[in-house]
Amino acid sequence: MQIEYIAYPFLFIAIYFEIFLLLTFLGSHGRTSRARALATHTPKVAIIVPCWNEETTVAGTVHSLLALDYPADRLQIILVDDGSTDGTGAAMAQFDTEPRVLVLRKENGGKHTAINAGIELAGDADIIGCLDADSFVDRTALREMIAYFDDAKVAAVTPAMSVNNPRTALERMQNAEYIFGIGWRHALALVNGIFVTPGPFSLYRRSVVDELGGFRYAHQAEDMEMALRMQRHGWHIENAPRARVYTKVPRNVFRLIKQRTRWTTGFLRNVLLDYRDLVGNPKHKVLGLMVLPFGFLAVSGGIMLFCVAVFMTAKQLVTTVATVNGVPLSYVLTPHFSLGWFYVPITFLVLLGLVASVFSITFMVLGKRISGTPGNLWLDMLAYCLLYGLVAPWWLLRAVMDVAFGTRRSWR
Amino acid sequence: MSLATRNALIALAVTIVVVGTVIYAVNYLDQRRVANLSSIQDQLATDTLSVETQFALLEEAPCEYITESNTLSATLADLGARLVFAEERLGATDPQVLRLKKQYTLLQIRDYLLTKRLARVCEADSPVALYFYSNVPGSCADCNRASYALSYLHETYPNLRVYSFDYNLDLGALKTLIAMEKIRSEFPAFVIEGKRSYGFTSLDVLEKEFPKGALVASTTASTTQKSR
Repeated sequence: MQIEYIAYPFLFIAIYFEIFLLLTFLGSHGRTSRARALATHTPKVAIIVPCWNEETTVAGTVHSLLALDYPADRLQIILVDDGSTDGTGAAMAQFDTEPRVLVLRKENGGKHTAINAGIELAGDADIIGCLDADSFVDRTALREMIAYFDDAKVAAVTPAMSVNNPRTALERMQNAEYIFGIGWRHALALVNGIFVTPGPFSLYRRSVVDELGGFRYAHQAEDMEMALRMQRHGWHIENAPRARVYTKVPRNVFRLIKQRTRWTTGFLRNVLLDYRDLVGNPKHKVLGLMVLPFGFLAVSGGIMLFCVAVFMTAKQLVTTVATVNGVPLSYVLTPHFSLGWFYVPITFLVLLGLVASVFSITFMVLGKRISGTPGNLWLDMLAYCLLYGLVAPWWLLRAVMDVAFGTRRSWR
Repeated sequence: MSLATRNALIALAVTIVVVGTVIYAVNYLDQRRVANLSSIQDQLATDTLSVETQFALLEEAPCEYITESNTLSATLADLGARLVFAEERLGATDPQVLRLKKQYTLLQIRDYLLTKRLARVCEADSPVALYFYSNVPGSCADCNRASYALSYLHETYPNLRVYSFDYNLDLGALKTLIAMEKIRSEFPAFVIEGKRSYGFTSLDVLEKEFPKGALVASTTASTTQKSR
């Protein structure tokens, strides 16, 4: 058996799931959801900004919240300094005189303790929002999201995230991935398949959060745990694709791998240890039968495809070195390839990969279109195509190793 | 039926159609490649016959009239390269590949005989190497290296003619050639200017098998067959 055969089932499932989500996206339910107007009613909202050593970005985050198109008397901003050791406290202090802003300083206890402390200060707010202190909201984001709470079954609403001012190739790669996520998450929401309410601006129905007992420690993935808990209790999680939020992303590859390892181990540990009952459970429909099982397949498939690629490349390299040994380098290094359609290296694996990529690009284009995210997507896609396959397998491998050997890492 | 169930079933059907289309497209391309090889081979057979007929017609003074031989060998080299690619794509045991390989081997033998005849009658002086390889797994560890070295020699010395043969190909004419040249089943095997040798150690050693001065680095007579 050729080793590339291992890749076929993963590619088949990837294409299947992409087609499924695309059909869902393009269906009438999707069109109706996207046509939803801005909210006209204004429930009381408290937005919590948990901070730990965010001195450079927290002011920008708060300014973007203060600029939200929402009645001042219906919006409260709660800044929680979770024992920062840098100048975060001083950066927060500039908002002490702002009536809409409350500042709380506490000892470091982890993100979930900061959010819970913020909820306690939220008074009679109907909706609780969480915004990471390295993210910035668009002016209409809140109104876009509030509209989805009209449905009484909705416990949380997620936004459309993209990268704040991407410049480097690595940032552009991440931006393409985030924009892909906009279309993807919107389609998942249409079948209630969302399993994470991201830190950059998710809104929660206060009564549901209280009923479920607030946030808790969850393997450094508290936002994922809350989403899974809501799903377990039968609540719906929506997505507002026009609610734009911009977030800062890791600027070097080591920080990126660290961040994504945290996300992936968070997924694996939460689902394997605490929410295994959801996997394969028909009661949870698309989430239980497709999203979570395919999530595991995506992790294992990513590693498998990478290993196949490394094996095939290494094998080819060894064969080539052995073959050309003794022949002058001037000949070896001269390209010897024949042009013409006859020699086009189209194989089953290449074409399947191409099909899967076309669907991924389609989701990126759709994500940008429905969210109205600014920027040059084509450059982002180029960076994504060139870099993602080289970087992503490392955090997948690291995460699987960490889970297998019980390794715990620091947040940053 | 719920929206999700309906979409899941439609998605499955669409995925099967998409994957089926991919399989069809890959097979179609492979068939087109085989058809392309057949077409070149047919043309080549006609050209070979033409040269042989000219040779027979002009028994006494054929040399100045036989002009197609060089073009013929270049086409044969192109066909060889395409056949190698097709063999890698479809596999060495594919019936169509085997059929084409047999025809190609016949054309090579005919070209080899024609070259020998031209060399004798017209005093052409091109060095010739016969190269026998084996595709049986484990039977020829150095065949890839030998093929690559011959490709290098061919490109460096354009007057060199290389004919490569799959030793295990079930073809009467090839078996006769093997018997005539007394080739044992040790690989790689070479017949260089009538002298047999076995095994491949290095490019330098192979190069020394050719008579001194036989390999000419620059010439206009680019008439050789590419190695396997």
